[in-house]
Amino acid sequence: MLETIQNLALGFSVALSPAVLMYAFIGCVVGTLVGVLPGVGPLAGISLLLPATFGLNATNAIVMLAGIYYGAMYGGSTTAILMRIPGEAASVMSCIDGYAMARKGRAGPALAIAAVGSYIAGTISVVALMFLAPPLAEFALRFGPPEYFALLLLGLLVLAYMSGGSMVKALAMAAFGLTLGMVGIDQMTGYFRFAYGVVELGDGIGVVPVAVGLFGVAEILATAGQATPPSIMKPKLRELLPSRAEWRDSAAPIGRGTVLGFLIGIVPGSAHIISSFVSYAVERRMSKKPQEFGKGAVAGLAGPESANNAATSGAFVPMLALGVPSGPIPAVMLAAMMVHGVAPGPMLIKQQPELFWGFIASMYVGNVVLLILNLPLVGLFVNVLRVPYPLLYPAILAFSVLGVYAVNGSVVDVWIMLVMGALGYLLRKLDFETAPVVLGVVLAPMIEMALRQSLAMSDGQYAIFITRPISATLLCVGAVLVLLALRPLVTKTLDWRARLALAEKGEN
Amino acid sequence: MTIDRVGGGALVLFAVYTLWEARKLPMGNVQNPGPAYAPTLLALLLLVFAVVIVALGAGSSRIATVGWSEWRHAVAIIAVCIFMALSLERLGYRITVVVALMLLIGLLERRSIVTTALFSVGFSAATFYLFATVLRVPLPRGPWGF
Amino acid sequence: MVRRLLSVVAMALVVVIVAHGAVPAAADDYPSRPVTIIAPFPPGGVADLTARPVAAALEKIMKTPVGVVNKTGAAGAVGMQSVAVSKPDGYTLLLALSSISIIPEADKLFGRPPAFTVDQFAPIALISADPTILVVRTESPWKTAKEFIDDAKKRPGQISYSSSGIYGTLHMAMELLSHAAGIKMRHIPTAGAGPAMNAILGGHVDALASGPSVVIPQIKAGKLRALAGWGTQRVAALPDVPAFKELGYPDAEFYIWAGLFAPKGTPEPVLAKLRTSMREVVNDPGFKSAMEKLETPIAFKQGDEFQKFFDADAKRLAEGVKRVGKVEEKK
Repeated sequence: MLETIQNLALGFSVALSPAVLMYAFIGCVVGTLVGVLPGVGPLAGISLLLPATFGLNATNAIVMLAGIYYGAMYGGSTTAILMRIPGEAASVMSCIDGYAMARKGRAGPALAIAAVGSYIAGTISVVALMFLAPPLAEFALRFGPPEYFALLLLGLLVLAYMSGGSMVKALAMAAFGLTLGMVGIDQMTGYFRFAYGVVELGDGIGVVPVAVGLFGVAEILATAGQATPPSIMKPKLRELLPSRAEWRDSAAPIGRGTVLGFLIGIVPGSAHIISSFVSYAVERRMSKKPQEFGKGAVAGLAGPESANNAATSGAFVPMLALGVPSGPIPAVMLAAMMVHGVAPGPMLIKQQPELFWGFIASMYVGNVVLLILNLPLVGLFVNVLRVPYPLLYPAILAFSVLGVYAVNGSVVDVWIMLVMGALGYLLRKLDFETAPVVLGVVLAPMIEMALRQSLAMSDGQYAIFITRPISATLLCVGAVLVLLALRPLVTKTLDWRARLALAEKGEN
Repeated sequence: MTIDRVGGGALVLFAVYTLWEARKLPMGNVQNPGPAYAPTLLALLLLVFAVVIVALGAGSSRIATVGWSEWRHAVAIIAVCIFMALSLERLGYRITVVVALMLLIGLLERRSIVTTALFSVGFSAATFYLFATVLRVPLPRGPWGF
Repeated sequence: MVRRLLSVVAMALVVVIVAHGAVPAAADDYPSRPVTIIAPFPPGGVADLTARPVAAALEKIMKTPVGVVNKTGAAGAVGMQSVAVSKPDGYTLLLALSSISIIPEADKLFGRPPAFTVDQFAPIALISADPTILVVRTESPWKTAKEFIDDAKKRPGQISYSSSGIYGTLHMAMELLSHAAGIKMRHIPTAGAGPAMNAILGGHVDALASGPSVVIPQIKAGKLRALAGWGTQRVAALPDVPAFKELGYPDAEFYIWAGLFAPKGTPEPVLAKLRTSMREVVNDPGFKSAMEKLETPIAFKQGDEFQKFFDADAKRLAEGVKRVGKVEEKK
């Protein structure tokens, strides 16, 4: 404990030196800029800007990349709230209630809550990272394919709590998304599935074009041609800050989102994406007013925003403690370290303590810089809503094309975005929810791979899922969730959905 | 016809098509699922849900009540997007965006020529400068290096 | 409406004509405009990390901007295909890894039209070639490669290993060993070299073959033990680890290599210019230190020497892919 604090003091002496501070600041600014691009989330942001850091020394480079990462993370939710364009898969849930808040004239508070939630989640998870990294990393490694499968299955089950309208329609949309996720090279056998000769589909349908299409483009298609265009909003200064009630409503979701996100984040693989979906479902389940979700519920924004920030910090646990990448973002950070001659691995903390602790400290500093940077920016960003829609939406479209293209340099992704935009437009008209499609596209390849890897490990024995303690526990939790969801059928009490439907019927 | 019947019906067709296409791939078995196993399973799941939606769909709102007033606008926007996708790597980012914005703002939204020209050229140049020049994001250039 | 349409079209035309001002340059004064190196894998991967210092050094030597573009997808096939069909003028180059020889073979195996074939490329230079290293966890019972192979013979299909994906480089290395030693192991493909490392560290598989720069940190930290390498010689950083060749398995030879290619049909003077420039690149101090940091020794070969290496490697891998066959058919 004492040692950690001493080390942290060393870290802060590194992180607060003027040069390092400046690079942290540049990183945050650049990250925010890139993150505002639709589709270009933290991963694409760091990847695209990695080469720009090659000229710097190791500490500066890593600190700057961490800044880009935090900045992009935050920038992603800005577009989600203001324009309903998810900066990345994890901001999909912010598109729902964040955008609904913005349309109610609460864009400023929504941005502020997202910023503060991200700040709190980021800071708390760095503390957790610092004290718990080594034991947690060992635990995280025990997540093999069977455990991963159980976790993802659990992620899928939360759908039952996520949907606002008809549950069977939400489930159908999830199944549709899962089916779409089957496109691409089957990693277990090498078969090319449903590709029709398009090599670019080899890695499957990317979640970024799907999310930007289903949310952003579909929104434009549905809104641009309305006889009365969306009104221009002129937010007043005092409306920029959340009201006391909004703060109260967001406090608990931020706390829960942080814990949930961090725990999901340390699991190797891309599980962190589901953290925001799970958080949204949890908040809706815990809420006293679940019918407000989807119509601008503060908790539906605060929870997922905190969760996705905490999750991506959690992902650094295995990287720093063991030198193994636990997901795409840590993988790029590891590469950055190697380029600068820092050998990533379990020895890093002993061999280069200034760098290690400087990195940790810079994560604190980066979070503070972003908060200072972003709260005033809230006032600036909401001005986007003052631009008349006929000028705003062409710009958003161009941004979407730019962002989706830049991630992989692939026009095929632009086509996917387009098709998904048209599809999202039709689904809206037919009153289907689109968030489950995104969840399905994300989960399908991972869950299938985990299942088949597990069976390869056990030579076809399904017992592997219940003989391993972690996966057995997760599956039990899943079974309880299913039973809870079925309870209303047995006890014949109406849940809020049924009550809402009844109330609506009464009105008509 | 109600919206649920139409939507559910479309999903039924999609599921059946997926099942049909998956037959080309080896199925494997429960112990050792092949490449067609998961797609078939998921398409069956989708089929079940879609059939339920169709079956219960009688009470949902009627398809005729859905407002389609903006469909011309939507089709025009999609057309411009198709143009962008086609020309992005052929004409380069800057020309594509200038032309697309001109079409959208000048033609579709009927803004004045000056606004259109200023906005599209300014937007294209500014975003290219910021992302391609300053941040070194590789954006496509046309055959004239532009 | 019509007048409006006309004026918009006219404006668009003006833009296009103004843009036309810059005329493409002639080919004999190569290089006269920026050169692009395509890295078919995402930033941070081996291809990307090798391409960046190459680009930086080439830029200095050829006195023209050299940029790296990551064109990813389908295990590298997307980027490789895009170079195969690009204009053979020396302005689009490819930094490929061993998988360039595997992808067309896998396509052939499944009877689909190949995304590209190896003879669509003109080799310029081999930059690095690292043998894979066989590692097991420190607490595992095998102390030497012989013990490992003997045990695998006793329990066919029981010892498991992770790989970067089916027909991936790490899979092929193990496949060549299995064939050379006459053993059978259980293959658990993962989504890449990182997840494959996670799988062995977490105890979900027993063995792994991966590049030295990946395994050495874990060996130093006492988590993994190296049993043998796939090279003709021992790896400099691991002098105590024998090569399979020494142990009597000469067919177990495999390298994760990185090389620079141009599309076939690139004019000979341009190729010659690129080859001499690459010779200077590998002697460039900046390039050398960059590769040292990646713990990747430079293994420079060009011309016939590279072609011979490339052909032999492609032949080995083609046989390997054929032996693996389609996974479904074997059960």
